[in-house]
Amino acid sequence: MDTVTTLPTTLRRPPARRHALLAPLLTLARRRFQLAARTPRELVVPLLTPILFALVIAPSLKKALHTDASYESFVAVGTLGLLIPLNTMFAGIGVISDRQNGAQRELLAAPIPRGLLVLGNLLVALAVTGLQVAALIGFAVARRIHFHPTAAGVAWFLAAALLFAIAMYGAAETLAARVSGQEEYIGRVPAIAIVPWFLAGSLFPITALPVGLAWITRFLPLTHGLALLRYGLLGDSSGLHDIWRMTSPTAMAGLSLAVVAAFAAILTTVSIRVFSRSARL
Amino acid sequence: MRLRHRETTVAPAAIEVRGLRKTYPGDVEAVAAIDFDVAPGEVFGLLGPNGAGKSTTVGMLTTMVVPTGGTARIAGFDVATEPLAARSVSSVVFQDAVVDRALTGRRNLEIHARLWGIDPAAARDRTDEYVETLGLAVLIDRPVGSYSGGERRRLEIARALVSAPQVLFLDEPTVGLDPRIRHELLDVIAGLRDRSELTILVTTHYLDEAERLCDRIAIIRSGQIVALDTPAALLAGLGPELVEVRVNGKTGAALAALRSHGVAGEDAFTVGSTITVPLHRRTAAETVAAVDELRLAAVVTTRPPTLDDVYLQLTGDPLADAA
Repeated sequence: MDTVTTLPTTLRRPPARRHALLAPLLTLARRRFQLAARTPRELVVPLLTPILFALVIAPSLKKALHTDASYESFVAVGTLGLLIPLNTMFAGIGVISDRQNGAQRELLAAPIPRGLLVLGNLLVALAVTGLQVAALIGFAVARRIHFHPTAAGVAWFLAAALLFAIAMYGAAETLAARVSGQEEYIGRVPAIAIVPWFLAGSLFPITALPVGLAWITRFLPLTHGLALLRYGLLGDSSGLHDIWRMTSPTAMAGLSLAVVAAFAAILTTVSIRVFSRSARL
Repeated sequence: MRLRHRETTVAPAAIEVRGLRKTYPGDVEAVAAIDFDVAPGEVFGLLGPNGAGKSTTVGMLTTMVVPTGGTARIAGFDVATEPLAARSVSSVVFQDAVVDRALTGRRNLEIHARLWGIDPAAARDRTDEYVETLGLAVLIDRPVGSYSGGERRRLEIARALVSAPQVLFLDEPTVGLDPRIRHELLDVIAGLRDRSELTILVTTHYLDEAERLCDRIAIIRSGQIVALDTPAALLAGLGPELVEVRVNGKTGAALAALRSHGVAGEDAFTVGSTITVPLHRRTAAETVAAVDELRLAAVVTTRPPTLDDVYLQLTGDPLADAA
């Protein structure tokens, strides 16, 4: 049955154009990728330091400390804990460039939820991070550094790397929205991307730290992420045990993955809120 | 049960602003409860000095700035409660360059069309049309970073039109351009007036632009609209002729003397060391003679009024105000 009503405003409004969110999301991601591809800094610079660590410093440390080959593998995975934050933080610089010299205001005037801009950038940061992780592992394998992946291990590794990258990109996007320029942003990158790396079990187990500091590192997403990456690629659950003191590697991995996932969800939500608010004066 | 709305055919104002207000932290009132309507197809100018509230007003209408109070509707859509719908029927050409310089002009247009949900075939047709109309054919496949200021501005106008907006916001579109490019761009914008379905709100502080382009003009000062009418009606308010009196001493005291002797009315105004006296009842000769008698002036001239005079009268001279 049709019921006919008359609008009280007696104004005939034109239909607003509505379209699905996936198409604009892919448009935003493609645009961001095209811009990143024209900025080699965003692609190459984050890779340099981790490769230096994995291929030069780790073998040198092994030789100087008279450790065995597993230490090279330990550090090679540890350098992923530097690569992922560095890459995502460098992606944040692109957001500031977009705001200061690019088309961000045009995108903000588009009839799409503003959170899509953050998600489009995130997709590209994840894709670039994935390529760089693959490149680092490829270089490490070529350098005869050994990994011991299983199907389940690869799944843990991918899930941990993905969620950790999402969490770090959330931090990058939030910082980019809150600072006024690139200088201020770059000045804060070491505190977010590099200091935690020294504490989170990258070069040595967290149990080697003073007890109080070791407890603090258990609250860092990177500590959980690195323990999961090593569990996935090396089958080494000692990092998980150092955090949780439990006997079941799967249970510990599940808990650490939940921690990283919670950081990813919270930081992404915060980044979308902060960006959307910063976009409206 | 299916609900169907029976609507009348009364078209809403393309832009409807009621009591729109913006107060920034620190109690800085950028826009103070302004009201205006812009009819579909109208070219509406928002004029005012720097800091008058023009860009904040456009910011609120384009959902970039959150209003502190009042309402604004774009093609019937409330900018506060229906921002996506309001954005879907409008486009903006910003005051400064807002483009992806590393991408080609064509790619910039494509991105706009996709984000506005335009059918790809229609987007291609419109791109071809505006690229041709705006003289971008030889540039469109080059990175925008290689464009001159005027070329980039034409590209931004083409981009704004690709989504076939009902309302186009031009925020000081010619600022920073050299005179030749500025006049070329004015031709382009004047050409848009022929598209009767397109409503344009343009902000500027160039009076000749406003006079040439706009059907109606609102002059905004300190966040308030101090005049709103057609250019001809605004000009008529100043009478048929003006006397300009350049004084040697303080303009404030000289203006007071002219007023006290009945030579100048309340609508006389000062700019720097010049007092401008609109003539309503006296003739120019009578007024010049009266000024000479008072021995206030170094130079006295007469001329017809321009829109500049309307603007200067309404936006005031801060130095004279202070005096």
